[in-house]
Amino acid sequence: MADMKSRLNLRDRGAEYWERSPKWRRVALSIFFIALCYAIPFLNNPLINTPGSDFRSVLFYPVGMYVMMAIGLNIVVGKSGLLDLGYVAFFAIGAYTMAILGTKTSLNFWEILPIGVALAMLSGVLLGTPTLRLRGDYLAIVTLGFGEIVRIVAVNTDAIGGARGIAGIPTPPNFFKAKFTILDPKPYYWLLLTFTLLIIWMVRRMAARRPGRAWDAIRQDDDVAQLMGINTRRYKVWAFVLGAAVAGVGGVVYASQILSIVPDQFNLNVSILILACVVFGGIGNLWGVILGAVLLAFTPERIRFLSQPRILVFGMALVLMMNLRPDGILPKKKREHFDPDWHTVEESGEGEIK
Amino acid sequence: MSENVLELQNITMKFGGVTALNEVNLVVKKGEILALIGPNGAGKTTIFNVITGVYKPTSGDVVFQGASIVGKKRFQITKLGIARTFQNIRLFGESSALENVVTGADVHSKTGVVGSIFGTRQSRREEKAALEKALELLEFMGIKKRAGQLGKNLPYGDQRRLEIARALATDPKLLLLDEPAAGFNPAEKVALGETIKKIRDAGYTVLLIEHDMSLIMGISDRVAVLDFGTKIADGTTTEVQNDPRVIEAYLGAPADAS
Ligand SMILES: Nc1ncnc2c1ncn2[C@@H]1O[C@H](COP(=O)(O)OP(=O)(O)O)[C@@H](O)[C@H]1O
Ligand SMILES: [Mg+2]
Repeated sequence: MADMKSRLNLRDRGAEYWERSPKWRRVALSIFFIALCYAIPFLNNPLINTPGSDFRSVLFYPVGMYVMMAIGLNIVVGKSGLLDLGYVAFFAIGAYTMAILGTKTSLNFWEILPIGVALAMLSGVLLGTPTLRLRGDYLAIVTLGFGEIVRIVAVNTDAIGGARGIAGIPTPPNFFKAKFTILDPKPYYWLLLTFTLLIIWMVRRMAARRPGRAWDAIRQDDDVAQLMGINTRRYKVWAFVLGAAVAGVGGVVYASQILSIVPDQFNLNVSILILACVVFGGIGNLWGVILGAVLLAFTPERIRFLSQPRILVFGMALVLMMNLRPDGILPKKKREHFDPDWHTVEESGEGEIK
Repeated sequence: MSENVLELQNITMKFGGVTALNEVNLVVKKGEILALIGPNGAGKTTIFNVITGVYKPTSGDVVFQGASIVGKKRFQITKLGIARTFQNIRLFGESSALENVVTGADVHSKTGVVGSIFGTRQSRREEKAALEKALELLEFMGIKKRAGQLGKNLPYGDQRRLEIARALATDPKLLLLDEPAAGFNPAEKVALGETIKKIRDAGYTVLLIEHDMSLIMGISDRVAVLDFGTKIADGTTTEVQNDPRVIEAYLGAPADAS
């Protein structure tokens, strides 16, 4: 049993392999993995097919979109321990920025993108600054309210289409040979993938450095974090704002693909689902969260042929998984914030988690 | 004036009806080990909490290096140069010992979130400096072999040592130690006493809460005694030992009865 457990411990085995690998192998593996991600739309493997829906569309939405959003929300919930139940609001702000500016001005996708991200970040500051002194449940309620307010304001504002939303959102201009059209989701998937890789790169750097340590400290003991000289308010707002930025990117890209948006797409369910990806995958651990998002987004599509009972089957699988691995599929590893090269300290067995 | 690192001036701290500190005056001089003693519930930890900004005193002033720090945020007070340990150990249990100490050393970094993302030269230099300092301090406290272990998995004594290392990492002008030898055996107490002396000899100023009299008499330059929130004595170890009020507080009998 113990043996099987250790064999099943993907995280430790994976991390160990990685840490023991020489630099060339790490580079080679990374390149291989990234290339594989870009090549997925061309794969026609019956294992990963999605009978009943277009595989390439599924890759963009929900899979790619969930992955990106889960990475963003993980900064807030996983790293700094702030329970944000209104994350969809930032996604909506990105999407509406694209929709409004795309239909009412001559700005194109690339010009709107930074505006959408900036507006999402700004709303993160405006929401975060007054509310982040609240702790735990109170913050969850306030953010939940914020998520709903954004949606309700959109429903009731006729200038932005009210409940009917906005149609005729322009697609991004062609990018060399990649043509962005409703007929071909591949370029969108690649675009999303590229942004996601960029975000992963940034998040990993933050996590391994001072901001990562500050968030770790805040999550574990806010009072002591302050007494260790950490401006906890500031780091919390940063976490919020960075999470908002990621959702903003997602929103802009999403709106440019689906051509029309309605406010009810941005409901509480989205926030909950993204949070589920984070928790299911392994709160705080980037790779776990990505895996969680892939599984949660992909599985319902993969078993679409089951038609009606599929959500039931999916729900039961989730409950089962959370019982088997309550910390998620790939929980946070003990020294994740320290690059193995960074210091060489022999580990004694005592340092095991649990 | 500049000799005094810290001055508590008429500090009163009330919690509802409880007066935890009553008009306390206390001076900590540069480069000394000042022991703060007194029975349980005397208000010793409360003094630390007032100094570090955990509580705002009901009245009175806390003057650190010539300027009042009452009302300043906790992180600002730490940045100004006051660091502490906790009577009930409060490490970052899910972080490694090394990370705990680097977190303290981060106080000196100027790199923000953006600089960290892009790995500016300043960021890399500060990360390296913080890491080196942390490793040095782990070595100094004799727990370098624990560097990679999670805080919560360290043996009890090493957790206390790690708290001191983490506080030292902020390079404090004033180090506050709240019962650092609690739960130690006599040999460990002696060793810790030597370490605290070494810390003082390295130029730090230490305010130490401790119960063990032989440890206090062995290492303190001065002693202040607190009883029911009031400072009842303050002086060299011999002065305090012979102070009738102290004897009364500790033995619960009039001085002449001893
Ligand atoms: N936050 C608080 N709220 C209410 N009473 C407190 C608080 N902190 C300390 N006290 C009271 O102040 C008194 C002194 O406590 P403390 O400073 O912890 O004593 P010591 O460290 O000397 O043992 C005690 O009576 C304690 O109950
Ligand atoms: Mg105490």
